[in-house]
Amino acid sequence: MASQIHVNLSPAELAYLHASLSLTPPIRPDGRSPDQYRPLSAETGILPGTNGSARICFADGTEAIVGVKAEVEKTGRRWDDDTIFLEGGGDDEEGGDKEKGSTQQGGNKEWVELTVEIPGQRDDDSATVFLAQMLSEALLADGGFVERLKINRGWHWKLYLDILLISPPLSYPLPLLSLTTHLALLSTRLPRLKSEGDEDPFFDDDWAAAPYLYPRDKKARPPVTLLVMAVGNNIIFDPAKEELAVADVVLAVSVADVADRKGKGVEDEDMDVDGRKLKLLSIRTVDPPSRLTPPGVPNASNTAYGHASAGATQQKMPEARAVESEAVEGVWKAPRGGAKLAVMGALVQKVLQKGGVADEVLDALEAVDLS
Amino acid sequence: MTDRRRINGPAGTTIPPIFEDTSNKEDANSVKGRTRAPDAVRKMFLRTGVTPTASGSAYLEYESSAKSGVSGIKLSCTVHGPRSLPRSSPFSPHIVLSTHVKYAPFATKQRRGYLRDPSERDLGTHLETALRGAIIADRWPKSGVDIIISVIEGDQDRASSGPQSDETWDMMNVLSGCITVASAALADAGIDCVDTVAGGVAALVQGPSEDTPPSVVVDPIPSEHERILGACCIAYLPTRDEVTNLWFKGDLPASEMDLYTKLVENGILASASASKVLVDCLKDALA
Repeated sequence: MASQIHVNLSPAELAYLHASLSLTPPIRPDGRSPDQYRPLSAETGILPGTNGSARICFADGTEAIVGVKAEVEKTGRRWDDDTIFLEGGGDDEEGGDKEKGSTQQGGNKEWVELTVEIPGQRDDDSATVFLAQMLSEALLADGGFVERLKINRGWHWKLYLDILLISPPLSYPLPLLSLTTHLALLSTRLPRLKSEGDEDPFFDDDWAAAPYLYPRDKKARPPVTLLVMAVGNNIIFDPAKEELAVADVVLAVSVADVADRKGKGVEDEDMDVDGRKLKLLSIRTVDPPSRLTPPGVPNASNTAYGHASAGATQQKMPEARAVESEAVEGVWKAPRGGAKLAVMGALVQKVLQKGGVADEVLDALEAVDLS
Repeated sequence: MTDRRRINGPAGTTIPPIFEDTSNKEDANSVKGRTRAPDAVRKMFLRTGVTPTASGSAYLEYESSAKSGVSGIKLSCTVHGPRSLPRSSPFSPHIVLSTHVKYAPFATKQRRGYLRDPSERDLGTHLETALRGAIIADRWPKSGVDIIISVIEGDQDRASSGPQSDETWDMMNVLSGCITVASAALADAGIDCVDTVAGGVAALVQGPSEDTPPSVVVDPIPSEHERILGACCIAYLPTRDEVTNLWFKGDLPASEMDLYTKLVENGILASASASKVLVDCLKDALA
């Protein structure tokens, strides 16, 4: 969980940070604009033993490697498979296959195995599990991804995505891991199929002829998960560790570009100018670490500043608790309660708007040279 | 050498026989679709103080569906604490919250093991996010509280022979129940909260035919609907009008923001109904 990343900031520092991030426009500690990502360097195809791989290094020193490996696996026969002859069924083989094809028989979420490894954390740690679930949720959300892994009715690809954070987790690693996974999937190639129909698969051994999992000439792209937070009325993208420590609400929003999906409801007016059609796949609330920050003590109740007695009065006064929860200007207090619906809506809106950050990130990733 | 003394099974793999779905037949007695109004949640039963040894506990049960073979949700929650942290743990200015959600091995159609699997850990993290916003954590420095939820029955269609593609939607239903029951148990344990947090689910469902536009319903049961396009689970603080946890999953075009907004609003509606039950239950416990 994000809340496990410890920030060693004093209440005074937190209050200062919160105040500067709540200004319009916000002033971020590293001087970025609110919707600017950290500078990063990326490369793909770094692991020769994989079907696709990528490495991204953020300017703050966090670095991640993703390797994608694929195996051919026999598709288990399923209840709605045509090979099983249901009584009274089975005669509408042609029609049934076409209709159900895209939704039910397209693929199985077990065809993708995603693991996240973060140094210094157990792999069954709930924070790591949460990250892995979030990334795979986005990948599996629309069913279009597993459909790509189908070879024929009897066989499919099983894809293993291994996500390794190789630096210590200096900040919440979600944006880094998501971008690296996106790049690795973009660079993933599967051997060209030579056999036809439902034969046992037989592949071309020429690696140069292997097609990409996401064909370059089509528009569809794997999902990206963006981390976005709100402080006061400001919306900040890709927050660093210090910024997360004063966040009011943090959301992880997964979007994908599905421009060429032939599904229903794809109308031309939905298309962007550059043909991009974003889809919202998942939203998760991330527990902000700000809830675990130590509170500041206002001068009015600080004995060092002349407040007469800390213990004696508080024990006698029943209303001492009410006083405790009152906010004092300039004194840090961990946020309580949740977020207003309008704030959450604004966060999602900001991610999805045309020409917004999601578009920008996808454009930037598009520009990475796939080797 | 073949073994002739025993009757062995066939050498190759076989598939267990799967019988045709009875719901396919035109049966007057079977209920197919949703019988509730789109904005009506299932009835629930909530009671606190069911586990005497825990400092707080609650039990929640959802009404089972009109369709036979579909079970409801049964959840039991215990809260242990606040209690002092072990000496070895570092200083914490706030209460240390730990949440465990565990399905009973028999809670779902497919048996669950005794170790928590990733989806259960994931539910625990969601629950933690939802509760952390509600608890006034700085009143208990250097202490911890454990919230343990066992899912006794997990909202699945046992009668159908279909695939388990509904599992994720069931998880959302279970999470909303977990939030409500944990909130009741926290109140029972006397842990200060800013408000009683309650969970609710809303889903975007495909209409009976392909041509009808998708509609938004609250508290969906996956087997009652043709297909679920997206769902969101919300943890809501009614008096503060704030959301502590939002989990949306689905497949929604970015241009249809109003559909998303509608989904969230309906999620809040469902949480508000759950909250009414919660408040009534807590009032009853006091009386």
